Amino acid sequence: MDSSNTFFWTFAYDFIRGPMAWIAFIVFFAGTLFQIFRLLSLTKEQSISKLTPGPGRFIPKRADNKDKKDWVMWLKLSIAGVNPFMTIVSTIFHVLLIVMPIFVLGHNILLDNSFGISIVSLSESVSDFLTIIVILCACIFLYRRLFLDRVKAITTWSDYFFLFLAAAPFVTGFLAYHQVFDNYRLIISLHILSGEFMLMAVPFTKFVHMIYIVIIRFTVVSEYSLGRGNRTW
Amino acid sequence: MFWKQSTAGVNTKEVKAILDEKETKMKLSLKACAHCTLCAESCFLFMGRNKDPKYMPSYKFLNSVGVLYKKKGKVDRLDLGEIRDLVWERCVLCTRCYCPVGVDIPEMIALARRVCRSQGVYPQYERD
Repeated sequence: MDSSNTFFWTFAYDFIRGPMAWIAFIVFFAGTLFQIFRLLSLTKEQSISKLTPGPGRFIPKRADNKDKKDWVMWLKLSIAGVNPFMTIVSTIFHVLLIVMPIFVLGHNILLDNSFGISIVSLSESVSDFLTIIVILCACIFLYRRLFLDRVKAITTWSDYFFLFLAAAPFVTGFLAYHQVFDNYRLIISLHILSGEFMLMAVPFTKFVHMIYIVIIRFTVVSEYSLGRGNRTW
Repeated sequence: MFWKQSTAGVNTKEVKAILDEKETKMKLSLKACAHCTLCAESCFLFMGRNKDPKYMPSYKFLNSVGVLYKKKGKVDRLDLGEIRDLVWERCVLCTRCYCPVGVDIPEMIALARRVCRSQGVYPQYERD
């Protein structure tokens, strides 16, 4: 490696570790706030009017509590009941995708070195295991995209791209931790870079479903809304 | 497409005006669709047609409203005909479709119907 090359690498490495990380976090948080306010401005509050019974005969409540919500039937008809495997895979993938990076030991050491703060972290073997789980889940998603007719019918190139973008920080993190390749610095650079791109992509690309799902499912009133939605589009 | 699409017989400005009305919501919803296909089983037509992917709610809105926004309203009669078959024959707007992310699928189908209707493209039974 000649000197100009070394200089370039040092510069690039320092840039993606420093300013680029700040840019990524600022874009992520500002973009997320922007999308939250945009979604809230698209929807408006609506009072839920309850009808009171009018004159005439109406059906009395059953004494044997039979008209209670049938939770077993409800669960059977829900996505978890219809598609249990996919529900489990998807839930594990998304929870780990968001929660795990916060508790990785290496990340907490970086936080401690930079700001003197750190939180509880997972042991390295546990995070290693969880990383494999995330990569496995991503592989299942990839398998569905490649071979399931129903998924193939609506798959575009961007679906593959964003699946790879979501899995990339985990794959490169795994490779870097195990030092699979000699060039550790290259792999860790790719790890940081893919993480930064992923963060910046959240508010503005397909990843926006992360914000959309929270705002819409919890605030917009519908048969399927979670919590107490009282807004409408 | 390499050749210029003939939009004769379609008032593209009118189509664009309808699309613009709900642009933010629709574009955001189209983007939020993760193409997960978990909405499929909530459509009784999908279940009734031997789980044909063409009856998936997501397939239906991506190929109707999705196409309209992608082409910015510059569609030809053929496109509108395909959209008509999609939003009237493969969807009855029963509004029972369920999206885990919360995409408002019925409204998207309704918008596609509105665009088609504005251009005089609709099934025979709606003419009276």
